[in-house]
Parts: sequence; structure tokens; C-alpha cells
Amino acid sequence: MTRFVARRLVIAVVQVAAITIAVFLLIRALPADPVATRVGFNASPDVYRKAKADLGLDRSTLSQLGTYLGGSGTERGLLAGNLGTSWASGSTVASEIGDALPITLELISLSFLLAGAIAIPLGMRTARRPGKALDKAVFGYGLFAGAAPEFWWGLMLVFVFYFKLGWAPAPLGRLSPQLQAPTQRTGAILIDSLLAGRLDAFWDGLRHLILPVVTLAFVLSGPIMKMVRQSMTRVLGSDFVLYAQAAGLPPRQVSRSTLRAAFGPVLTLTSILYGFMLGGAVLVESVFSLGGLGQYSVKSVLEFNYPSIQGVVLVITVLSLVIYLVLDVLLALLDPRARHR
Amino acid sequence: MRRLSILAGATAVLAASAVLTAPTRAAAAAGEITVLAEDIPAGLDYDGPSAAIPTSQTGMVNLMEPLVYYKTKPANSEGIGLLSFGFADANFEGRLAESWTYDPKTFTWTFKLRKGVKGCGGATFNADDVVYTFARAKSVSGAAPIGWFLSNVASIANFTPDVLGADKAKAAEAQKLGDEVKKIDDFTVAIKQSAPNKLFLPVLTIFGLGIFDKETMEKNKTATDPWSHEFANNTNVPSFGPYCLDKWTKNSEFVVKGNTDYYRGAPKVTRVVYRKVPQSSNRLAAVQRGEAQLVERLTPKEFDSVRKAKGVKVAGVIGNENLFVHMNFKTPPFDNVKVRQAVAYALDYKKIIANGYFGQATKSKGPIPSSYPGFSVSKNQYDTNIEKAKTLLKEAGYKDKGDILLSYVSEKQSILLPIATQIKADLAKVGIKVKLDPLPQTQYGDRQLVKKDLQFALNDQEKPIGVDAGYATLLFFVSSEKGGLNNMVNYSSPKVDDLFAKVKNEADDKTRNTELAEIQDQLMADLAWLPVVELKTQWAFSDKLTGLAWHPDSSIRWNDLKYAG
Repeated sequence: MTRFVARRLVIAVVQVAAITIAVFLLIRALPADPVATRVGFNASPDVYRKAKADLGLDRSTLSQLGTYLGGSGTERGLLAGNLGTSWASGSTVASEIGDALPITLELISLSFLLAGAIAIPLGMRTARRPGKALDKAVFGYGLFAGAAPEFWWGLMLVFVFYFKLGWAPAPLGRLSPQLQAPTQRTGAILIDSLLAGRLDAFWDGLRHLILPVVTLAFVLSGPIMKMVRQSMTRVLGSDFVLYAQAAGLPPRQVSRSTLRAAFGPVLTLTSILYGFMLGGAVLVESVFSLGGLGQYSVKSVLEFNYPSIQGVVLVITVLSLVIYLVLDVLLALLDPRARHR
Repeated sequence: MRRLSILAGATAVLAASAVLTAPTRAAAAAGEITVLAEDIPAGLDYDGPSAAIPTSQTGMVNLMEPLVYYKTKPANSEGIGLLSFGFADANFEGRLAESWTYDPKTFTWTFKLRKGVKGCGGATFNADDVVYTFARAKSVSGAAPIGWFLSNVASIANFTPDVLGADKAKAAEAQKLGDEVKKIDDFTVAIKQSAPNKLFLPVLTIFGLGIFDKETMEKNKTATDPWSHEFANNTNVPSFGPYCLDKWTKNSEFVVKGNTDYYRGAPKVTRVVYRKVPQSSNRLAAVQRGEAQLVERLTPKEFDSVRKAKGVKVAGVIGNENLFVHMNFKTPPFDNVKVRQAVAYALDYKKIIANGYFGQATKSKGPIPSSYPGFSVSKNQYDTNIEKAKTLLKEAGYKDKGDILLSYVSEKQSILLPIATQIKADLAKVGIKVKLDPLPQTQYGDRQLVKKDLQFALNDQEKPIGVDAGYATLLFFVSSEKGGLNNMVNYSSPKVDDLFAKVKNEADDKTRNTELAEIQDQLMADLAWLPVVELKTQWAFSDKLTGLAWHPDSSIRWNDLKYAG
């Protein structure tokens, strides 16, 4: 297992390096101008030239890459762990990502937990009784959930539960505007509230998370449910299950063995979706004004804020690789044959 | 398993209902308001990287204090307060400066400063703060030197482009503040101009020359950042304004509380939560349900939808926001004035106002905002006349050579797309085929400011920060060779250049206005830009909120407000 993990880590380092350099070069090849946004349209050519020089954009791309990786003067480069400074705000990219990332992780982790709680039992049940009413209902649900983008479902939930019924809180962020936020420790509002002993903030944060989590879980549970059903159907028809049933093993024991054998593809799909959601939850973040990593990425791209774009891509790449590494380890634990492939 | 699923589902639904309906909403205390915008301040240093972002400017103007500001005048019919624009002393009131005199022989302004003014951190205002502010501006040490630029525009002596020169030693010398801004005593400062320039007092009102609290700034300087840009941009901007920063979570929330020591009296609105809500529909819903007291930057359609809503008021002002069509003078077919004029005659202005702005706009009479001093209605006007447009195209020998791209900023699609579509339909009637070309803001900026190669564009973001027709002319219409700052359509008119050279140093208001009127006539004859409509800057707010006033940067001064909630 150690060799297996080490091999994966070496490949991950090469992937991160390649992606970092590719992103650096590609964004500079795009036909856009980050300087104009920075100085404003009232600026004189002198001001423009100075701002361009300050950003290092008057130098060759290779020279810029050297500074990005190795730093210059007193400023450290990426190789020393510095993601740089945001061109839009002047804050360090690391601090901005440090603020945005926990928001997204909290949102998508809760969404996946809810999606799994719905999708796995339903997928298993429908696999065991194909063609029954529940199976048809779940099929319809899968189609329904996937028929419209998540932001549309989000807006609909806001319209019904906030605007019409007044049950949900305003989609204005993670806490009500006049409520003091708990001291930031992890960046996840629920955990920080509990750590600070702020139950008022915890309940308020939870209320604000319900609609976005339900929106994402609603969309995510469709494909997970389908995958559970498909895998379970395949495994239920396999020889070892038929033998176990013929030998008279209790249904619960058969179910447990079946789930373990069917879980590989479900885990793979969930991991891929999780990695995708790191940046892909942007629309839900935007609808509910949560300000997570997706929103930060889009803002950075629209501003052509090179250090932020590079930082976000790097962080998402590393996190995705970590997720895939964990996935590989889990798959290897579930199915020992995977270690030798 | 089935029972377990049902139980889990029922528990989840009950828990969600209980949490959703639990009354944990923290009610706003009296005098506290929530303001929602598409973004919040990204930075607070006006020489920093985010000074061009409107919401950053909102943060700056509410925390900082200028030397002088425009006097107010009666509100418009919608109750929005207005300012008394002009160049005379009578147009201005002292803020940190109590009074001032001007010596025309030496071009020197002497300011008597206000005593007993305290900043948020307890620092007391004096002449050192003013000198520090200009020294910092001249150091051009920030990411975008707005302070230097404004001082240069106001002809403050020695604030020349030398500070940005390629020769580093010479530039460093030029960046040192000399006698041009001089402390006479603790409460007197003299500022010298290199030539008479009417923009001096107007420029001092702009956010980019707000006065810093030197004492606090210097406490936060570092060896590599002697002018405390990092601190001002990311932590706080110490000044003597009506509000003090309470909490700032970048990309999320900006909270201020009233400065109880504010020399003009503690603000009536004692706490403001300025929160980022990117979706305009959510901002709209929040103000309708009373969760927010003021929301900014909705679409015209959204403003229209709540105009008669209970508890919500929508009001606005024709300030300095305009919609223009830009036609590039270096790109056929728009290098021909007859084609440009044909486009002007082809547009259905009434439909654009009705469908694009729901009636909250008026047809433009010129390329300068009509609220600015020096604006004049040009004798060259273009009303919808399809036959005249066709005749002009025929005279120009216009031949269809495929679709012409009409570019606009894609982030503004919800506002500009209906208008671009209308323009496309209007031009099709006279035989000009147009294809819509939405571009991301940064790409649009590159094409407009740097490459200057946008052939045909729809633009609603040009707003001269200097409130003067002369400044707007210098900014947009003087040729680059004669010092034009941002002549984005490659317009060049010797007549306009010559007239502007006279305007620049003209002391007599009447003569200056006559020259500016001639410039505007020429701009409209050439159709340097095609002004389409002047649109209302609008806000939606609680009917318990009063005192809203319009300022040229469109940032609300929260100190103007009263909330009876």
C-alpha cells in the first residue's frame, strides 16, 4: 500500500507542476487587459504604463514565470509557498482562498451527505424491486432533478420558501446581516459557531445553509441514485449473491456484501462530483450570496486577476488530486485487486 | 431498510422545517441599516488596486473626509438631494478646510483648516495630515496613482508626469514633495498651482484626494511600504470621515459604525451593514421583504417592478450616466461622417427609452452629462428619421460587406442586450446588418483603452469623475497627440484641440462656456460619440429611509441618510 501511495504522489507532483505552468502561460495568451480594470477608464496613459510595469506585464512571459515561481527581491515565489497578491484587492491570494475555500467545503460536504442519505437507500431499494412504483418514481425524480440547472432550482426555492412563504431566511449570505459572526477559526460557520459557543450563530448559519444544501443535494442525488441502482442491479445478478441467497444467508448480511461490491463505482462518481463541485458550486454560491471558492474563481477570471486565477487553479488541482488519491486508497481497500493494477 | 429510509426522510424534513421557521433573525436596531450591492469594497486605498471599483469608492467616501465639498441644493422631484456644481467659491463648502483664499498672482490657494476634528482612532486633524496626503500622492507608490493624477489634472505645481519617468533617479527626485504644498502653521496650508485651472476645487471633492490621518498611517508603515498602502488597502483607511470601520470580511461584508466625534455631528444612521449580494433579484426580494433598507444596481426592469410596491420607494436622478454608441474613426464604414450620421438618424430613441429603461431615461442632447457645468445643448441634433438615414447612406456610397459587430460588456447583458437588439433591428431597416458581440469586461477594456480597435460599440460606463465639460473633453475627445487621456474611438479634430487649448486656461466663465459650447457643437457635427440616452441612477429603498443624495461617483454617503425604522 505504501508503494502504491508513493507512486500516486509522484504522479500528482508532476501533474501539479504541469498544470501550474500551463495555466500561467495560457491566461497570458488571452486577449484581455487586466491593467484597464485596475486603473479605471478615467486614467491617463502615464498611469496606465506605471500600473502595467508594477504588475510586471511589461516584461517577457518567461521573466514573469521566473518571478512567479522564484519570487523577486524580498517577495517569495510559489516554490517558497507564496501564491502571490491579488491584483484586484491587494490582499494575499492565500488569505482570500483561505476565506473562500471553507465556505465551499462546508456547503458541498453537507450537500453530499444529504445526497448520499437520500440516494443510497433509495438506489438500493429500487435495484431490489425493479419496475415497481418506487423505481418509476425514482427514475422520474432523476430526470426531474437533472432537467434544470442548479441555480434555477435555487432561485425557485428562494422564491417559494423565502419570498412567498417567508419560512427561509433571506439569501443574503451565511448569517443574517445584523448578527455578529463568530470568531473565524476554521472558516466553516457551523463549526466556528460551536467552537465559540454561539448557538444563535449556529442556528442562524444552519438556517442559511438549508436551501443551498437542499438545492445541491437535489441535483447531486439524481446521478448518485442512478449509479447505486445500476451497480446494485449488476451485483445482485452475480453468482456470489445468488449463492448467498440460495445458501439461506439473512437478507441483511446479503445486502451488506452486495453494497460493498457495488460501492466502488458509486464512490468513484461521488469523488469526481466532489472535485467538480469545488469550483462548480459557483451558481448556488451566487444565488445564496455565500461567497465561496466558485464565486471567487469566476470573479478572478472576470477581472483577469492572474495571481488569483493561478492560485485557485492550483488549490483546486491539489485538492482534486488529494481526493483522487483518497479514492484510489479506498478503492484498493474495498477491492484488493485494484492495488496491483 | 424501508422503515429506516422513511424515518430518516421524515426526521430530515421535520428538522429542516423547524430550523427554517425558527425565529433567529437578528432585528436591526434603530438607526441601523443594511445596504445590499453586487459587491463590497475590495480595497480602501485610493492609490491602490481597487480604486476603480465603484463599491470600493463607496467605502472610501464614507470613511474619509475631503478638504472641501460641493454645497447641496434642493432635492429633485423624486426627493434625491443634489449638489451645486460649478467653479465659484459659492459652489463649495469647507469640510476639513474652514475657509480658503486664492492669490491669482502666484496661483496659490491658502486653506485655513478646521480645529478640533478627531478621527476614528482619536487622532486630531492638522496641517501635517494635508501635507502627508499630497506627499503620498506624489510618491506614486501605489498600484494606480489616482491622487497624483487628480493633482496633475488640477495643475498643482510639480505634479507632472516626471514622477513616472523612465529615468529612476530623476523620477525619484520628482516624487518628493516640495513647496507646492506647504504647511504655514498647524492649521494653515498653501497649495500652489503651475497655472490657473478651474478644476482645482472640483478635484479636491473627489474620493481620490480624501485626507489621511497621518498619525495612524505612519504607525502602520513598514520598511518596504513607507506609505502604508498595505494597511490602507486591506485593513483600514484612517481619516476624519463620518464613519469608522467596524468589521470587513472581503468579498462578503463591510460594516461601519458612526464616528461619534465627527465634527459635523454624529451620523443619524449609526451602523451600516454593506453586504455583497451578487444576484440582483435577491437584492430586490430583500428590500421588498424589509430585510434590507437600501439596494443598489438593480436592472431597469427590476426597479420598475417595485416602483409601486408597498413599503419600498424607487427614486433616482439623471446624473452623469449615459448610453453611447461608439463608432471608430479609423475603421470603415464609420470613418465616413455620413455613415455615423445615418446610424444616429436610424435609431428609435423612444423605443430604447421605453423598452430598455422603462421610461427612466431621456434622449441625450450631447456627449457631456447635462448636469455638468459647461454643458450646452448642441445645435446638431439627430432625431429618428429613417428616410434621412437611407439618403445619407446612399450619399456615403455604403455597401453591405457583411455583418458589423456591435460590441458591449457581457457582464451588463441583462441591461444592454435588449437595447443592442433594438439597435440591430433599427439599423436593419436602413440596410446596415449588425451582429451582437458581447465581450467580457476585461477584453472590452483592452480593446477600448489599449488597442482602440472596437469598430462599433454600445457603452454605458463612461462617467467623467471631474464634474466639468472641459474635463470630459480632455478625457475623451482631445486627440492623443494633444494630451487626450482616453480617446477610445481615435477621434481627432484640430478645431476641438485648438478650442480646448483655450478652455484649459480660460479664467472668464462666460468665454469658457462659449468655447465649450463650440466644442460640443463640433463633437455632435462629427458624431465623435453618438449620445443615445441619459439614464437615471436609481435606488430602491425602504419608505422609512430619507435623505438620499446623488454624488458624481454615484456612491451614497450614508451620513446623508435618516432611518425611521
